[in-house]
Amino acid sequence: MTGFRVTAIAAAAAAILTLPLRASAHHAFAAEFDAKQPITLRGTVTRVEWINPHTWIHIDVKDADGKVVEWMIEGGTPNTLLRNGLDRKSLPAGTEIVVDGYRAKSGLNRANGRDITLADGRKLFLGSSLTGAAGGEASADKK
Amino acid sequence: MERNVRSVAKLAVASLVVAASTTVMAQWPKYTPTGVPVGADGKLDANAAVPRTSDGKPDLSGVWEITRDPNAPPPTAGRGGRGGGGGGSPFGNIGNSAQGGAPYQPWAADLVKKRMSDNSKDNPDAHCLPMGIAQLNAHLYPRKIIQTPKEVLLIYEASGTTVREVFLDGRPLPKKEDVEPWYNGYSVGHWEGDTLVIETTGFMDDGWLDVRGSPLTSAGKITERFRRTKFGSLELEETIDDPKAYTQPFTAKVFYRFSADTQLIEFVCLDKDANHYVGNTAPAPK
Repeated sequence: MTGFRVTAIAAAAAAILTLPLRASAHHAFAAEFDAKQPITLRGTVTRVEWINPHTWIHIDVKDADGKVVEWMIEGGTPNTLLRNGLDRKSLPAGTEIVVDGYRAKSGLNRANGRDITLADGRKLFLGSSLTGAAGGEASADKK
Repeated sequence: MERNVRSVAKLAVASLVVAASTTVMAQWPKYTPTGVPVGADGKLDANAAVPRTSDGKPDLSGVWEITRDPNAPPPTAGRGGRGGGGGGSPFGNIGNSAQGGAPYQPWAADLVKKRMSDNSKDNPDAHCLPMGIAQLNAHLYPRKIIQTPKEVLLIYEASGTTVREVFLDGRPLPKKEDVEPWYNGYSVGHWEGDTLVIETTGFMDDGWLDVRGSPLTSAGKITERFRRTKFGSLELEETIDDPKAYTQPFTAKVFYRFSADTQLIEFVCLDKDANHYVGNTAPAPK
């Protein structure tokens, strides 16, 4: 995989990925992100905003032409990530990561991160509000 | 398309691996407090007897996390586990464990419909504002109960580490018109046998009882009935009586398990897009 790749898959397929993992959500995932636009990004961490209610991981991603583009990846709360074994030291600047997540509806270079893969192959769950989010239930059980 | 399907399968498997390998950590190193009963396997004996305070009341003190209704069927894939508690958790929908759902007044039903179509973007919690008692009680994050004979403190990790004071010293519940309305209202408690009954009133208008946006108004009263059924289990029946928003009182249920080796993590919520720190600098309307 060179540069960055956007993998578009069908909505039904995206639903398969929605596992009932423990996460917390105060609003529906769909308020900001598009479950029909999964995205895979390979990049280098430039900084991590370790703040509630969402962490933000900033990464530099090279596009197909070699141009560096900044992306912001939304993760779960620091509290959720701590309980999943991540802390503010887990992703120092310069770390190469692959992010699997979902694009922002706004069209900006933002995504909701589901999980990240480190260079050594370890995968870390990012506490995405799509996975197991109560907000998802709130929008799914419309009457 | 074939490649896409392969990717999906790969990602799904990866997600499962991640889910299975997650560990429970907190900032405090793991430490099991003394006085916690352990079984032959060295783990918490959740079935041990309910501890009691020196005045003979059940002691509800401890850190509690939501769990599923032990009597409910196992959750089905997908929606079942959502909302943390599963089995009809009221976090997403306060009416989940009430027969026929929450009995909305027509305006309240319309409001909930609108809030759901807005993806709950105005939920106070999404703006770092207090989420209210009902969402706190059903929230994924742990809460700690500290019980004394005259006062019970409920400390919730969620919503900016919320502290609720519940007075058991005999003072009456204030009339709502006599007090300044608060996000989490005013609480007094008493014991009915082994059940701690907490009554709360004096709410602000426009509270959210759940993520879908079921309203709570200043006319509302919440009655919580906490009962520790064994060492490791706590049950809550929460009755919402708000005639302005609902046609009749209704009850939600939440189930908790005792967490022997967890402590609360500080939660400070930073709404970077809010401008309330500097006030509204726009000129007043003429």
